[in-house]
Amino acid sequence: MTLAVSLKGIGKRYKISPSRSSLLKEALSFGKVKRSHDFWALQDIALEVKPGTTLGILGRNGAGKSTLLRIISGVLQPTTGTVQVNGRLTAIFGLGSGFNPEFTGRENAMMNGLILGIDHKEMLERFDEIADFAEIGDFMDQPVRTYSSGMRSRLGFAVAVNVDPDILVLDEALSAGDAAFKKKSLQRMYDLRESGTTILFVSHSMGMVKKFCTDAILLHKGRLVTSGDPEQVADHYRDLIEKAQEKDSRAGTDRGLDDMLDREEEEDLEGVGSRNGSASEQSSRQEAKEAEIRGVQVLDEKGEPIREMPSGSRITVRVRARYAAAVEESAIGIALQSKRAGVDVFSTDTTREEALLGPRKAGEEVAVDFTLEVPLEPGTYTVGATVSIPGEEKPHFDQATSFKITRAGSELSIGGLIHLPTRVEIHDLEGEQERPTQSA
Amino acid sequence: MATYTSSAKKSSAGAFFDALATFWHRRWLLKYFIQRQVTRSYRRSYLGFAWAILGPLVWVFFLTLIFSEVVGLRFREVEEDPNLNFGLFLYCGLLPFLAFSEALNKGINSIKGNAGLVQKVLFPLELLPFTNAIASMIDKFFGLGALLIVLLVFGQDLYWTVLLLPFIVVLQVVFVLGLTYIMAVIGTYLPDVAEIMRPFIRGMFFFTPIIWTPERLPERLRWVVDYNPLAYLVNSYRDLILLGELPGAQATLYFTLFSVALFVAAFWLFVRLKPRFADLV
Repeated sequence: MTLAVSLKGIGKRYKISPSRSSLLKEALSFGKVKRSHDFWALQDIALEVKPGTTLGILGRNGAGKSTLLRIISGVLQPTTGTVQVNGRLTAIFGLGSGFNPEFTGRENAMMNGLILGIDHKEMLERFDEIADFAEIGDFMDQPVRTYSSGMRSRLGFAVAVNVDPDILVLDEALSAGDAAFKKKSLQRMYDLRESGTTILFVSHSMGMVKKFCTDAILLHKGRLVTSGDPEQVADHYRDLIEKAQEKDSRAGTDRGLDDMLDREEEEDLEGVGSRNGSASEQSSRQEAKEAEIRGVQVLDEKGEPIREMPSGSRITVRVRARYAAAVEESAIGIALQSKRAGVDVFSTDTTREEALLGPRKAGEEVAVDFTLEVPLEPGTYTVGATVSIPGEEKPHFDQATSFKITRAGSELSIGGLIHLPTRVEIHDLEGEQERPTQSA
Repeated sequence: MATYTSSAKKSSAGAFFDALATFWHRRWLLKYFIQRQVTRSYRRSYLGFAWAILGPLVWVFFLTLIFSEVVGLRFREVEEDPNLNFGLFLYCGLLPFLAFSEALNKGINSIKGNAGLVQKVLFPLELLPFTNAIASMIDKFFGLGALLIVLLVFGQDLYWTVLLLPFIVVLQVVFVLGLTYIMAVIGTYLPDVAEIMRPFIRGMFFFTPIIWTPERLPERLRWVVDYNPLAYLVNSYRDLILLGELPGAQATLYFTLFSVALFVAAFWLFVRLKPRFADLV
């Protein structure tokens, strides 16, 4: 079988210099002055995409995703390596960006189609289909400057997906339009996928990648970090983001936002395609008044921050909170959530554990350590912290962090979420003796 | 099925002829590109495309009026033909010059100005300078139409040599295209050099017999006209339209050879360098 896309040893180098004139100085000095340095936007990328694959490309901003897509679509030339593409490729980078506002939708659609390499006759035949899909109606013959930005991107998307490419390259194109149109364009992508189109697309949405892709790759700092199963790659990506957020001292508040965004996306995607949206986690964030969570950390038994631990080990969740006003009593709690199952595994708070915080003055800070064992199924978990004041309705679910449970030693993985402390006894019914066995 | 491999380096001759062939394969895109550029400026006016011919008409009428007996600027009569209005003479020389300067100035920007396309879509970039050159020339063809109308209205003789104008126009297209491709490359690779080119293009106005006649030049400066391809174009326009004469055979041959060589070299250079354009804009 011929591959749809095959990349070997792809690298893309840019020269970074303080200014263009410093490049000139460098050239004039014949290498004596060196102000610029090389920057590899991509390095050693090897990738094979089989026809019919839907490949999600994850990575943080600046990871090289767009550069990679541009190299695949032939717009950019790689510095090293070879690209091989088999089939008609359509790439969309930013919808409707090539539109001229003075010309009508019809003229612009034609132009866009011709630029993408569609035949003039084919384009004429598809006009109705495109206008229908874009839901533009009579506006088709109005200048694009009279369009709303939504109409503009709908038209751009409509042209691009109606060209029946063998390989469709999308750069965050699906973020355009309202929920209804998003659903529609996603449905169209499913149809394309069903008909065997290879789709490569960049997304920041892990939900989207998990649901829609058959394969995924993760780029980080220009290198291909992981590839394969979308679930695993998405988990890896989440870890990466969290690591980055931890570095940021004021991290954590984004956390709630991330969840919000994810949830919003999942709501949009519900009911589309074959795989339905999964249960989404619940978290609410309110304006902190009397008290707020300042940080959540996962520590090992020596008190060192860790991100990975074998199943069953003992960890300490350290929660730091700050009181903005004097309070008589308060409770700080944690909740453990499984990323995979999307359910709360366990939650507790200081009141339930009978460790009372007592009255606190304004400006006071407190750290609470929850030490617990985590006999959990391997996977990624988040631990969120809340602080609640009696009399207030909702606890502040302010911050969260995540950690990863790995398989403990050579043990077989458990079934289900939790390894409940279990004692196994085997009774040999013929013999007399008892052989109790206990698992760790 | 379009299959490509980035590493498969084509022979430069193969790439050259492939690129030439795209003008045919993508003729519809080219048509829309050119149409778009020609009509762009008239889009929002009420008279629309009529301005393409009305604009030059107003201008040539204005020029004629200034150099007419009414206003009295008769001192600049054309030497060979005292009856010929200097305004018409001037306008006739302006047409090929403006087509030249506009095409080149737009050519400098043809890649940079389309960064959105160049960086985002894989499509034959050689269409962009072509579009600029042809659109500028088409614009001036309407000017030519206006000139012929005015000649008729003012009772000037129309010579049969006007019918030979298309041949000169074809040569002009080849000449301007060659320069436009060079400008596109310079504008992308060497933006500073491009900035130097702009005043130079403007300066060509004075080195070309547009407001002066070649006959006035002293012998020792004749080379300014002899080695200026633009002067050949301006003189040919005047010969064919205003004087009913044929341009010199030798000059025509030299101009043709020069234009073709220029185009081949420029286009070859453009095709060789275009893979890096997306990085530079």
